[in-house]
Amino acid sequence: MKRRIAVVIFPGTNSEGETVRLLRDCGGDAHLVHWSRSVTLPEYDAYVLPGGFAYEDRIRAGAIAAHDSMMDHVIDGATAGKLVFGICNGAQVLLEAGLVPGTGEVRRPTAAFTRNAPVPHFVNAFVWVKLAIAPSRCRITASLPEGALIPAWSSHGEGRLAADEAHLREIEAGGHVAFQFAHADGSVDAGAVPNGSALGVAGLVNREGNVLAIMPHPERDGWTFNHPDRRRGDDILAPSGGAVLFKSFVEAVNQA
Amino acid sequence: MAKLDTSGVALRPDELRKIEAALGREPSVVELHAFDAQWSEHCSYKSSRHHLKALPTKGHDVVLGPGEDSGIVHLGEHNGERYGIVIAHESHNHPSQVVPFEGAATGIGGIVRDVLCMGAEVIAVADPLRFGNVDDPHSHARYVAQAAVDGISAYGNAIGVPNMAGDVYFDERFDDNCLVNVVALGIVKESEIIHSYAPKDADGWDIILVGKATDPSGFGGASFSSLTLDAADEDSNKGAVQVPDPFLKNVLMRASYAVFAYLRANNLTVGYKDLGAGGIMGCSAEICSAGGYGASIDLTKVNVALDGLKPEVIAIGETQERLIWTVPASITPEILRIYNEEFTLPQIAYNARAVVIGKVTNDKRYVLRHRGKIVMDVDIDVLTGSIRDELPFEAHQPGPAPTEYPFVTGVQLDELLERVLAHGDVASREPLYRRYDAVVRGATVIPRGAADAGVLAPVPGSPLGVALAVAGNPRFGHIDARLAAQHAVYEAVRSVVAVGAKPVALTDCLNFGNPRKVEHYTELVDAIDGLATAANAFETPFVSGNVSLYNEASNGKAIPASAIVSCVGALQDVSHVVTMSFKAAGSVLYFVGRPQEALGGSVVLDVLGRHEARLPLIDYAAILPQHALMQAAARAGLLRSAHDIGSGGLIVAVCEMAFPTLTRGHKAIGAQIDDPWQWTHGRVGNIEALFGEAGGFVIEVSANDVEAFEGLADDVEGVYEIGVTIGEPVLAVEDEAFDLRRLRDLWERPLREVYP
Repeated sequence: MKRRIAVVIFPGTNSEGETVRLLRDCGGDAHLVHWSRSVTLPEYDAYVLPGGFAYEDRIRAGAIAAHDSMMDHVIDGATAGKLVFGICNGAQVLLEAGLVPGTGEVRRPTAAFTRNAPVPHFVNAFVWVKLAIAPSRCRITASLPEGALIPAWSSHGEGRLAADEAHLREIEAGGHVAFQFAHADGSVDAGAVPNGSALGVAGLVNREGNVLAIMPHPERDGWTFNHPDRRRGDDILAPSGGAVLFKSFVEAVNQA
Repeated sequence: MAKLDTSGVALRPDELRKIEAALGREPSVVELHAFDAQWSEHCSYKSSRHHLKALPTKGHDVVLGPGEDSGIVHLGEHNGERYGIVIAHESHNHPSQVVPFEGAATGIGGIVRDVLCMGAEVIAVADPLRFGNVDDPHSHARYVAQAAVDGISAYGNAIGVPNMAGDVYFDERFDDNCLVNVVALGIVKESEIIHSYAPKDADGWDIILVGKATDPSGFGGASFSSLTLDAADEDSNKGAVQVPDPFLKNVLMRASYAVFAYLRANNLTVGYKDLGAGGIMGCSAEICSAGGYGASIDLTKVNVALDGLKPEVIAIGETQERLIWTVPASITPEILRIYNEEFTLPQIAYNARAVVIGKVTNDKRYVLRHRGKIVMDVDIDVLTGSIRDELPFEAHQPGPAPTEYPFVTGVQLDELLERVLAHGDVASREPLYRRYDAVVRGATVIPRGAADAGVLAPVPGSPLGVALAVAGNPRFGHIDARLAAQHAVYEAVRSVVAVGAKPVALTDCLNFGNPRKVEHYTELVDAIDGLATAANAFETPFVSGNVSLYNEASNGKAIPASAIVSCVGALQDVSHVVTMSFKAAGSVLYFVGRPQEALGGSVVLDVLGRHEARLPLIDYAAILPQHALMQAAARAGLLRSAHDIGSGGLIVAVCEMAFPTLTRGHKAIGAQIDDPWQWTHGRVGNIEALFGEAGGFVIEVSANDVEAFEGLADDVEGVYEIGVTIGEPVLAVEDEAFDLRRLRDLWERPLREVYP
């Protein structure tokens, strides 16, 4: 059966429109839930936190939103095993809320997506991200093939994973590195990383495998008309490319 | 009674006398500042309006021509609904020179409101930029070039509107007066347009101010924009620049979309307008007078950021992120609820909110009260009516005589190509535009840099596409304002044609020097004539525009004549778009255009330190069939890639088509170009053929499609087969071969220093 997905909007969110559209095009029963309607959040079965600049990215991207009352409900849901999927600013919020990598306490983050390096600027670039875990390690990626290579747009100024050595070791050893930046041929090295992220991390998953945080935007290469390599005769309005991750998420939600 | 203090006011003595005559008395302080704003060049177009009438503004696809906050052009139909593209184009030059981050950011903020208030969803911005010489890392010009881009990036990214087009030129003549032009696009169902005036039967309606709390920032902005910049006034100029708040704007836009939905659901017609120059006064006076009404406003009701603001500051200051609604009082509570409770404006920014500040009246008076006292009471039509300055200009001078030909440089082709590719006007723009979000909203078909125009699919579920490009070459403008304006139209149109779209509308921003100097006013008049000539020839009307004068430093150094043009293109199916990068080895390359001898204003002459006063001419009769060929070939799927020829000429265009294939994961594709003397049939020399900037396209056609393409091109003059693509990272011209990777590195480096 179709379960209800809430696309959570904080003041400053800016990617809610395409996120809810792609979820619907991938078969999800997705709804926008605005900050003044946060009391309705417990009624939903899964949560998507889209991109943007929640609370103007004050202090550090996601830091204020992590303490918003909206996140009380998202944290409750995550703890109860609901699926939570954060993209870009949504991913930053999940780290600041301590839900991913989830190696510490709630709202006591052990890692952050912070200012890009070496150039501390916003960068907009087409990228590939590669699934770095066994698909079933994360419920949201369960229907992806092993080593899936997904197109996306990296559009952020604060996407560099930063943590102290001990926590980075924990992230790596605990299988929290869900996605890494990759080249078009699937190879992974520092040259593919646009933001200086530690371990080449593009996405992280929590221990239980129900919360996924990914910095690049798969939904910005989510329909055939978005692809630079589209061909004549393709159904240009069909979800494709980055949509595979959305499809996998929707399948996981509806199976739950 | 004390003499009226007119310091800080740009009105001239003759204008002050005109105001006194109209009022029958001396104006109050508020009235003085109100007329100063409304009668400024910035608001009144007093020295340009009568010339602008020459521009074509009507056409089959025009839904709304110039006159309101934005123009609207028909895009196409989807599910029985007609969709329009809303477009506006403005400058924010003086603010960006003085406080570049804030100045450029508020430029984006202002243009976005112009589009929003038509009832549209904002879908894109674009930024034509003209900066000074940035070679010295410690120069103010370098700082302006960096901070203005950061401001545009910070604002556009935060509100979630992709930057889909733009250009940048560097020229020391912009050292003291940069140009920051901004363009915004919106999408609207044509049945749901909201106009910038109070509609019929609006007498007694509420005037609702919505947005940021009014503060003292931006007081005198309109008249500041209508004076030349004086370095000595730097501090007071800074006070005239507004403070951007993209966070609040993000919420304000979304709240306005919710209001639009409410109005649609209830089938209500209202008025909505952006606050720009002249603040609350300018906006409320124009929205009411345009509907044939007056207005009565109580300034004490305005939500302010601090107490004790003078009434003229509340009335005329240009605090950002504000708009005005005129609505029937019966729906006021719902509008206030949406902004203040559903979207919690007061919690987004200090004292931001929607608030009723007055009433629409039918007595044609514009009345402002402050703490119970009337501080302004004037005939609304005198305040907003058109005033006109008749200024002297000279008849157009005929062009200069031809100079040396064929052109001999004594410099080897490889060295010349390397220097041209590293020129500031040719080098890769990627370091700049990668600071901009090009893909938010998920509707991007061609992001900036992948083709000559950006392309979006703005209607969810529909294959309709919109293309946008901007143009305006200051190297041309410096030589001949009239021909440069024609070239601006030609290049903007050409860029849209290059992606396979049909040009449907133009906008212009006329950036010129002091109109009270004959030579600058002559340039303005000539440029308008040039725009009209080209727009008529391409049968593409102007639907929106803006004039920015007094672009010069206090030492009288003026900028090159800068008519900057944007062109909107329509695509019925985005499957047909054509991008710039080579697709395969073994394709046939054609030049579509006409080689010309004239090298005036070209980059190649600039790198050689030479000058020629002859610009390439535009042969519209030859160009129109070429554009028709491009569109037919794109529709038929015969164009593997296409690139318009601009700065640096044909050889640079070929390089730029090859460079994207050199990235990892792609197969490198180069080109073999035949001896130009052969394909031009000796018409021009090799330098002119390879580096000339007369326009046209380079296109890639699959060997299998050559017959079909040449069939389409049969009766078209100006189609030359110039070579083939090859499976190596090499550019070969006749028997010389150049390493494309090396050329790419030279091309990528210059702007990386400015935008690391």
